[in-house]
Amino acid sequence: MAAVVFSKVRKEFGSFTAVHGLDLNIEEGEFVSLLGPSGCGKTTTLRMLAGLEFPTSGSIEIGDRLVNDLAPGQRDIAMVFQSYALYPHMSVAQNIAYPLKKRGVPTAEQRKSVEATATLLQLTELLERKPRQLSGGQQQRVALGRALVRDPKVFLLDEPLSNLDAKLRGYMRVELVELHRRLGRTMVYVTHDQLEAMTMSDRIAVMDGGELQQFAPPTKVYAEPANRFVASFIGTPAMTLVDGELAREGDSWTFNTDGLSLSVGTLADAAEAGSACLGVRPENVRIGQGSISATVKVVEKTGHENIVFLKLAGGHRLTARTSAQEVWQPGEAVKIALDADHVHIFGPGSRGSRWNRPAAAQEAPAPAQKTSMTPPTSKTGSTVQEATP
Amino acid sequence: MAFIKKLGFNLFAWAIVLAVAFPLFWMLVTSVKPAFELFRRPPTMLPETFTFEHYLRLIERTNFLTYFRNSVILSTATTIVVVAIGTLGAYSLVRFKFRGRESLAFLVLFTYLLPSVVLIIPLYLLLVQIGLANNIFSLVIAYTTFALPYALWLLRSFMAGIPEDLESAALVDGASRMGAFVDVILPQLLPGIISTALFTFILSWNEYLYALVLVNSDDARPLTTGVMNMLVSSFNIEWSLLMAASVMMSVPLIIVFAFLQSYLTRGFGAGGVKG
Repeated sequence: MAAVVFSKVRKEFGSFTAVHGLDLNIEEGEFVSLLGPSGCGKTTTLRMLAGLEFPTSGSIEIGDRLVNDLAPGQRDIAMVFQSYALYPHMSVAQNIAYPLKKRGVPTAEQRKSVEATATLLQLTELLERKPRQLSGGQQQRVALGRALVRDPKVFLLDEPLSNLDAKLRGYMRVELVELHRRLGRTMVYVTHDQLEAMTMSDRIAVMDGGELQQFAPPTKVYAEPANRFVASFIGTPAMTLVDGELAREGDSWTFNTDGLSLSVGTLADAAEAGSACLGVRPENVRIGQGSISATVKVVEKTGHENIVFLKLAGGHRLTARTSAQEVWQPGEAVKIALDADHVHIFGPGSRGSRWNRPAAAQEAPAPAQKTSMTPPTSKTGSTVQEATP
Repeated sequence: MAFIKKLGFNLFAWAIVLAVAFPLFWMLVTSVKPAFELFRRPPTMLPETFTFEHYLRLIERTNFLTYFRNSVILSTATTIVVVAIGTLGAYSLVRFKFRGRESLAFLVLFTYLLPSVVLIIPLYLLLVQIGLANNIFSLVIAYTTFALPYALWLLRSFMAGIPEDLESAALVDGASRMGAFVDVILPQLLPGIISTALFTFILSWNEYLYALVLVNSDDARPLTTGVMNMLVSSFNIEWSLLMAASVMMSVPLIIVFAFLQSYLTRGFGAGGVKG
C-alpha cells in the first residue's frame, strides 16, 4: 500500500500546458477518481503517475519514494487501459502471466498466481483463448486480471468501463468497489463519468483545464462544490445556474436577477457585491410552494421521478426534480420555492468560487440563516416570505 | 443472363491466367526437351523425350551454383538489412515525436524521383572509393538504398495500426522499451515484416541493371547477370540451358511465395487500416 503525492506537478507539450502545478495527496488504500471533461488533464496526470509521461516540473511520490525518473516497470504499479490493451498474440493465461514473467517469477509460481487470479475473476474457462475470442466484458476482466496478478502498490485505471454497455458497466462498478475493499490497495481511477466517480470513490479530484478544481469526498463535492465548474459538472440533471447581482445589507446578502430576488443570508468573507451566480440543484426546487412565478416548459418522466423544466418570469430556466406522483403539465403556471439551505452562490466567471459559508460554520449562527425569497416587485426586499417550512 | 455473365467473367479470368501461365509452362517444357526437339515445326506441346541433361550440364559444367550462392547471400543479406533498419526506422517515425518527423518520412521517398540510371554512376564511384566495387556487398548496399524507402513506408503504415496502449501496457508490466518492442510490437508487426521481406527479397533476386554495372568479376556475379553473361552471347543463345537456369531461378521464389502468400495478401490489405 502506498500514498501517492503529487507536488506542483506541471506537464507541458510544446506550448500547450496540460497540467498546471497539480498538488494532490492520495492516502494509502484510498480509491480516488480523477474526474473531468475530456482534455482536462486527468489522463495525462495518470500517465505521469504510471511513468508513461514525465512531468515538466514538480515531483511525484509513491509510498515516500520519488518516482519522477523511474521507468513504469520500476514503480510497482499496475494499470488497466481504456482499450484493455491485451496482447492479441498471447492467450489469456499468457496475458495475465506477462507481468510476472517480466519480473522473473519462476514458471510454477506464475502458473499458480494466474490460476488464483483467474478463479477470482471467473476466467478459468477462458485461459487458453485469445483476446479476440472474448466478449468486451471478458476482455475487461482479463485486463483487470493482468493488473491484479502482481499485487502492486497502486492500481491505475484509465476509464476501464467506458467501452462496456450500460448494464455491464453497472455490474462492474460494484465488482470494482468490492475488489477495492477486499484488496485494500490504493486505486486511482480516471473517468469523465461523474456517476462512476460518485458511486465508487472515497474522494474525487475534479479537474478542468489542467487544474485541480476540488478534491473531496463525493458527498462534499455534491453538496458543497468548490466553484461553479464543479457545481455544473457534478449531478444529473445538472445544477441550475443563474447569473445575477449580489447586494449586501450589513451581514446579509441578497441575490437579484430578472424574475428573482433572494435573500441568501451571510456569506463567506470572500464574497463581493456585484455580479455573481446562483446555483440550485433540481431536488432543491419545490413546485407548488413559495412565491416565485414560473411556467412549466417540459416534463421528463423517468418512471421513479419526474424532471420538470421551468421558465422563470425573467426568462431564466430552472430544473426541478419531483416525485413520479406529482404531475405538472407543460404550459402550466406554477409557484416555486428554493430550499433555503441548499442554494449556492458563486463568484463571477466560469470557475467563480463558492461564497457560501462552509457547512460547519453555517450551523453556528442560526437566526440569520433562513434563506428567503421575494417576488421581483420589491427592490427593497421588504416583503419577505419564508420559502420553506 | 446471370449464367452468361458468370461464364463471360470466367472466360476472361482464365484467359488472363493462361496468358500469364503459358510462358512459365513453356519455360518448364523447354528445359526438359532434348536440343533437337527445340526448333521442330510444328512445335511439340509436351516433349516426346524427357531429359534432365540441361540441368546436369548447368550444375556440373558452369558457374551456375556460384551465381546461385551469390544471389542467395545477396538477397538474404539485403532482406535482413532492410527489414532491420526499416522496422526500427518505422518505429521511430511512428512512436517518437520530433520536429520534422513528417518531412523526414516524405524526404525518404525522394529517392524514387530519380531514375536509377542517374544514380548508378555516382554510386559506383562511391563504392570504388570505399573499396567495395566488384563485391557482393556493393550490391547489398545498392539494393538497400532503393528497397529501404518503400520498406520504411510499408512498415510505417503497419506500425501506425498497432495501438500505442499495447506498448504502454508492456512498459507498465515491467518490460524495457526494447523488451516491449520484441514482446509486443514485433509479433503484431509480423505480417508487415513478411510483406517487406518478400518485396525486398524478390527485388534483390531479380535486379539486373545494378548487378551489371557494379559487379564484373565472375566470382561475385548474381544469377541474373551471371546467367545472361554465360548463356547469351551476340552469336548464340543457349535456349535449353537458359530455360533450365530460369526454372531453377524461379524455384526459390515459388517456395517462398507458397509459404508466405497468405501473409502477403493479408499484408497489403491490412497495411493502411487495422481491422
